[in-house]
Amino acid sequence: MADAPGMPEPISRLIEAFHRLPGIGPKSAQRLSYHVLRMPEDQAAALATAIMDVKRRIVLCSICMNITETDPCRYCQDSRRDRTVVCVVEQALDILAMERTGFRGLYHVLHGVLNPMDGIGPEEIRVRELVERLKSGEVKEIIMATNPSLEGEATAMYVQRLVGPAGVRVTRLARGLPSGADLEYTDDVTLARAIEGRQEI
Amino acid sequence: MPDRPRTYKTEGVILRRRNIGEADSIFTVFSEDLGKFDAIAKGVRKARSHMRGHLEPLTRSRFLIAQGRSLDVFTQAETIAPYRAVREDLDRSAEAIYCAELVDRLTGERQEHSDVYRLLLDELDALEAGHALHVTRLFEVRLLSILGFELQVEGCAACGGRLAEQDHLLAPAAGGLVCPACRGGSGGGRLISPRGIKVLRFARDASMEQFAGLRIDPELGRELHLALADVIRAVLEREVNAGRFVDQVARLPASRSLTGEHVQ
Repeated sequence: MADAPGMPEPISRLIEAFHRLPGIGPKSAQRLSYHVLRMPEDQAAALATAIMDVKRRIVLCSICMNITETDPCRYCQDSRRDRTVVCVVEQALDILAMERTGFRGLYHVLHGVLNPMDGIGPEEIRVRELVERLKSGEVKEIIMATNPSLEGEATAMYVQRLVGPAGVRVTRLARGLPSGADLEYTDDVTLARAIEGRQEI
Repeated sequence: MPDRPRTYKTEGVILRRRNIGEADSIFTVFSEDLGKFDAIAKGVRKARSHMRGHLEPLTRSRFLIAQGRSLDVFTQAETIAPYRAVREDLDRSAEAIYCAELVDRLTGERQEHSDVYRLLLDELDALEAGHALHVTRLFEVRLLSILGFELQVEGCAACGGRLAEQDHLLAPAAGGLVCPACRGGSGGGRLISPRGIKVLRFARDASMEQFAGLRIDPELGRELHLALADVIRAVLEREVNAGRFVDQVARLPASRSLTGEHVQ
């Protein structure tokens, strides 16, 4: 599709590049490419620079594996944060969600979850770095904030078994009903846990 | 498409999930009457999805599915068995994921295998009930047999001769145990002890519960685990990804040691 006869080479290359992005089909790739072609040059240059900056200026925080421009990242540098609690998340975006809750401890980004069938084991995610971090003894609690899916639960249990003997308290985010949920459609496991975790009002 | 929309009902176990786009997922189901098939659930990753919890991998559910042009679409799902005890225990999760991967890799699309379905439920039920993890060995033996790779454990797989009471080679290429005389041309394998051979024979027609009740010590458990893994690797001509995970979990602290896997 990109190599339609008569298509100038730079355009077909751009179409190819867009096509490789997730969720972009051949038609969308063509549309985006022609849009870029009609853009003012400064806009196109800004797009290109933004893409390059992401690749050149973003690094992984050497402490928590968060994506950052400075190493250590702003969370790890912030002395007002509780350094005894580490919230373990699947991806860097989850930190933003946790920040909105008012959580003010530290983080650790795994960059994935265990997915045994797809061959994603502990070596493929940032578990080893977490274990290393605990050696200083400063961290007293790990909050496993992986998704409540089969893979997320397996990851949480794996980490718990791995670091449990080190004397660190490992906790898991509570599971229950999301706001706006319908009881009648709720799955049995969620409902059962919601009952177990019920609270007095 | 002028085709009238058609829906059908079935029940099955979710084997795996692949996320597609922003909020959709494709699930591989092993169904009682349809065998293995893929279907898509639209918007299932949104917080308000009605089907989300009912489509978790390793859940047994009832589905209402609409025929789609390329992929069928889940329209309703309701849990029959959530296998909660399995998903809340790392060792049991690992065994169950391993079995799900075996079913996924060894069966073809839309080939009915109610016997495989029954076997998978037996395994999940046994793990849920807290039975010994070595029930997976029975699962492996029976799955191979249902799918036409029955292990020859009675006589020599090469010459058909009687097997004396001693260690014998389980040779994947020969499809079973081979006697000492046939070992040379058998393509190699792993030695199985007389006790191991008895367990393999018992696994052919024992019930899950009977098999779970066997006392299998760490050494024997490991012997059978490795030998059957060899056979499965030969049949699939590749590694089972989740098999590596089972071993990684077994190596964790506060668990069975590596030699102690699959033991009561």
